Amino acid sequence: MLKEYSSLISELREKLVNCSTPHDLANIKSYYLGKNGIISNEFLKLKTVSSEERKILGSNLNNFKQEVQNLITRKNTKLSETIKETKQVDISLPGSNISIGSRHPVTLTINKIIDILGRYGFDTIDGHEIEDEFHNFDALNIPNSHPARDMHDTFYVSDTKLLRTHTSSVQIRSMLSSKPPLRIMTPGKVYRSDSDPTHSPMFHQIEGLCIDRDINFCHLKGLLTRFITELFGRDMEIRFRPSYFPFTEPSAELDIKFNGKWLEVLGCGMVHPNVLSNVNISSKKYSGFAFGLGIERLAMLQYGIKDLRMFYENDLSFLSQFKGLK
Amino acid sequence: MKISLNWLKEYLDIKDANQLLSRLTSMGLEVDTVTKLKRDMVIDIDMTPNRADCLSVFGIARDLSAVYKKKIKQPKRVKLSKKDKSFIKSVNKKISTSYGLLLIENFDNTIKTPKFISDRLDLAGISRINFIVDVLNYVMIDIGQPMHVFDKDKIKGKLSVRFAKKGEKIKALDDNEYILSSEVPVIADDNGPQAIAGVIGSNNSSVNNKSTSIIIESAFFDPNLIRKSSKKYRLQTESSYRFERGVDPLLNDFALGRVVSIIKDYLKVDKYEYIHTNSKPIARHIGKTVNMDLNIFEKLLGEKISQTFVKNTLSYLGFKPIIRKNKIKISVPSYRFDISIAEDLIEEVARVYGYDNFTEMPLPLSQRPLNLKSKKSINYFLDLLSSRGYNEIITYTFLPKDSQYNSNVKTSVINVLNPISEDKSEMRTTMMHGLLKTAKYNISRQNPNIKFFELGKIYKKHKDNTISEESVLAGILSGVNYETNIKQLQKPLDFYDLKGDLLSIFPNLSFKGIKNLDHMSSSCQSHILQGQKIVGLCGEPSLEIYKQFNIKNKILYFELSTELLNLEYNIKYKPISVFPKIQRDLTLVVDENVSGDDIIDAVERKSFNYMINSKISDIFYSKKEFGADKKSMTIGLIFQDNKRTLLDTEVSEEISKIISYLQDKFNAVVRK
Repeated sequence: MLKEYSSLISELREKLVNCSTPHDLANIKSYYLGKNGIISNEFLKLKTVSSEERKILGSNLNNFKQEVQNLITRKNTKLSETIKETKQVDISLPGSNISIGSRHPVTLTINKIIDILGRYGFDTIDGHEIEDEFHNFDALNIPNSHPARDMHDTFYVSDTKLLRTHTSSVQIRSMLSSKPPLRIMTPGKVYRSDSDPTHSPMFHQIEGLCIDRDINFCHLKGLLTRFITELFGRDMEIRFRPSYFPFTEPSAELDIKFNGKWLEVLGCGMVHPNVLSNVNISSKKYSGFAFGLGIERLAMLQYGIKDLRMFYENDLSFLSQFKGLK
Repeated sequence: MKISLNWLKEYLDIKDANQLLSRLTSMGLEVDTVTKLKRDMVIDIDMTPNRADCLSVFGIARDLSAVYKKKIKQPKRVKLSKKDKSFIKSVNKKISTSYGLLLIENFDNTIKTPKFISDRLDLAGISRINFIVDVLNYVMIDIGQPMHVFDKDKIKGKLSVRFAKKGEKIKALDDNEYILSSEVPVIADDNGPQAIAGVIGSNNSSVNNKSTSIIIESAFFDPNLIRKSSKKYRLQTESSYRFERGVDPLLNDFALGRVVSIIKDYLKVDKYEYIHTNSKPIARHIGKTVNMDLNIFEKLLGEKISQTFVKNTLSYLGFKPIIRKNKIKISVPSYRFDISIAEDLIEEVARVYGYDNFTEMPLPLSQRPLNLKSKKSINYFLDLLSSRGYNEIITYTFLPKDSQYNSNVKTSVINVLNPISEDKSEMRTTMMHGLLKTAKYNISRQNPNIKFFELGKIYKKHKDNTISEESVLAGILSGVNYETNIKQLQKPLDFYDLKGDLLSIFPNLSFKGIKNLDHMSSSCQSHILQGQKIVGLCGEPSLEIYKQFNIKNKILYFELSTELLNLEYNIKYKPISVFPKIQRDLTLVVDENVSGDDIIDAVERKSFNYMINSKISDIFYSKKEFGADKKSMTIGLIFQDNKRTLLDTEVSEEISKIISYLQDKFNAVVRK
C-alpha cells in the first residue's frame, strides 16, 4: 500500500478510537467513503494517470477502500453495542407490567395429587355435589341405622337429597356406569355440618379407587407409600394403622410424622365386598382398594397455614403468596 | 376412652409402657394422648365406632392379648342364681332380649366410695355420685356393662320394659323434662316411665345416700332403638354410648355378679334377689359362624400368613377357629357385633400381624388404557388466567338469603333444610355473590386492584323438582391495570380489559350486547358466544348491586359455563403467503348507535378481495366536529394475496368499494 494510504489508515484508526457516537462515525464515514470523500476523489484522480499506473494505483486504492470499510464496519458494530452501555441501566428499578396471579392453595394441592396419581393410571372424575342417600350412604354400606352416619353431619336439601359428605358417591356412580378394571380419582367439594377453626361446613376431598383382578393390601401400601414420598418430595416417616370405615375392610389410616407428632392424613382400605355387590361387581373376581384425604388439611401442612378459614376468606394478601405455583 | 395403665395390668401382664402404647395404636386402638402420673398412666384411646367390645378395660386387655400372646385374667365375680321374675311385669322382646334385675334390701349407701374406685373414676373422667352408682360406673368401665339403679322404695308396683305412650313425660337425671313418643323404649312402673331405656334414669326413682333398698338393672338393649332415643333427645350418656354400639348380650348377669363381688368387701349383703328374663335368640348376631378358604388371607392381604398365626390370633381374640384342610370355620364371640364376613376376620388377623409389617408392592399396570381425552381439562385455561394476573378464589357454595340477584332464577333456588347458619342457607344459582363479597372484602382492606376468578358449581331446581348442577367459571375485576410503575402505564380497568383477558385465553369467543338482565348494568351487559352458542355473560353489575355492597369502585364481571364452552379447538394449518401485506386505515364518521362489531361483521361478511383482516383501531367523539349523535371510527384493514404482490391501485379500488358499501349500509362518511 502506498505510504500516503498507510498514513490515512493510521489517521482513521486514531479518529475511530476517539469516535464515540454514531453521529461522529457517520461524519467519518462520509469523510472517507462519501460522494465527495477522500476515496471518491482518489478514484477521480485515477482518470488522469496512465493505464499501467492506473492498474497499480487502482489495486492499491481498492485495498485501501476495503480496509477503510472494514474498520468503519467494525467500529459501527462496536458502537451499536456500546450505545446500550452508554447510559447505565438501573436494573434495580421495578419491572413493568407485572401481572401474575395465583392458583388457590386448595387447587394447587388437588392438581399436585392429580398429577402424581395420573401417572399411576388414575383418571379424574367429576361428580354431583347434591346426592341421594343411596349413593352417599346406602351403597357405601352405611345403612340408616349405622352409627357411622353420626360421623357425617349431613346437610339435607330435601327429604331424599343431601349435600354429599364425601366424594365416595362419585366412586359408586363410576362403578355402576363402567365395568372394572377401574382406576379413578374424584376431587371435589364435600359438606358436613361442622364449623370451627379446624372444621368448615364445606371442604375438599380427593378419593382414589382401584378395582382390578388380584389387587391386595400390599398394593395399597405400595402405592400410598410412593404417593406420600412423591407428594412431599422426600421420604416421610409414615405408619399404617387399623381404622374403621364402613366401605372398606380391612380399613387403615395413614399417619405422617410431623415435628415429632403423628398426624392422620389419609384413610384407606380394601373395598368392602358389600360395596362391590351393591354396584354389581363380583368380589370373587375383582378386588380393590380405596383411599381418601382432606385437601385443606394437607395444604395446611404443606404451606404452614394455621387457620382453615383463611382458605375461604380469599384475602389477596393470602392468595398472592401462592403466585407462580402450579 | 380413658383408661388407667394399672387397671389394665390387672388383666394383662404388661411390662413396657411404651411398647403398650405403640401396640394399642397398631391394633387400631389409637392412642390419642397419654398423661403420666406418679404411679400410673392415663391413656386416652380414640375408639372407632365398630369396636364396642373395647369400651372397657377388660375388653382392651382381651384385644391386646392377641398381640402379647398371653392369656388374660378373668374378672372376679359372684355367681348368682336365678329367681323367679316376680318383680318384672313384662319385657318387650323388641327392646330387650336379656333383662336382669338385682334387688338388694338393707343396703347402706352412705358408705364412702373406696379410694381405688373413686381414683379410677376420676382418671376415666366420670363424676362421683354415691357409693352404689360409683360401683356400677366402675364395673361399666371395668367390663363394659352399663347398669342403672332404682330406689326400690320409690318404685310403684312392678317394672315393665315397654315402649312409651305418646305424651308420657320423664324428669331425667340431667334435670330436663323429656316428652316421650311411642318409639322410645322405657322402663316404667305404675307411675310411668322411670328411665329412658339404656339412656338415662328418672329423678323420681333415683338412688341417694339415704336409699336402703335398691334395684340394679343390667340388661341388653337393642342397639338401634337406643341409638334412636339418644339421637332424638340429643342425649349421649356413657350408657347410651355403649348400648348403641352394642353391649355383649351375654354379659349382664356376669356384670351383676361382678357388682356383688365388689360391694361384698364393704358391706354385708345378706338379702339380695336376682331376677332374670331372656328370650331366644338373645341377639341376632349370637352364634354366628364364618366359613372361609384359608388362601383368601393371602389373596386379599398379599402376604402369606401361617395357619398357626391365624388360628392363635383368632383364639386369643375369643373366636373359635376350626381348620380343616384349606378351610377354616370360625365361631364369632357374642361381643363382636362388628364381625360377620370373611373380610372382617382378615382384618382381625392383619391388625395383629401389624399393618406396618406388610411389604409395599408396586401397583401393576392397569389393564385398561388411560382415557387421555378426559384429561383435557379447564385447568390449563385457569393457569392462563392466573398468568394474566387473576387470583383464583374459592367461596362457599351456600349463600345468605336474597343474594342470588338474577330475578329469573329465584324460583330455582335450592334451600338447605338444616343450614349451619342463616348466611349459608341457599345453594348458589350464580357465582356473583361470592366474587362480589370477595371484591368488597379486599377493597375494604386497601387492596383495590383485583382480578379474581372462581371455578365452581351452581345449583338449580327445576319445575319437575329435578336438580341440576352446572360448572361455571366466573371472574371479577376492578381497579387499575398495573400497580404503579415507572413507565406510568397505569389506567383504570374497563370492559375492554375484561374482553381482552377473555379473548387472550379463549380466542374464539365473541360478544353481543344485551339489555334484558336486571342484575347487570343496562349500559354494559353482554352475552359471550362461541360460534352461535351463548356460553356466558359479562359486563358491569347493576347500580342496585353496587349499592347493596357499598362498592364505589368500578366492577366488571364475567361468567362462562364450562359445560357449554368447547375447549377443544380443531386447528388445521393454512399455507401462509410470502407476499407483502398492505395496511390501510379508514376513518369514518357514523351514527353513535352503530357498533364496532356492526362495521366489522359487515365488512367481513361481504368478503372484499384480498382483505385478510379488519379491526377497529380507534374511536373518537367530538361534538364540535360531527355532532353529539355521531362518532368517528378508524378501521385498520390488511390486504394480501397468496400469489403475487398487490398493486397499490388494486387495494385503493377495494377501499373505495368498502367505503361505498358502508355508506349504503350505515350512512358512513369518510372523515376528512
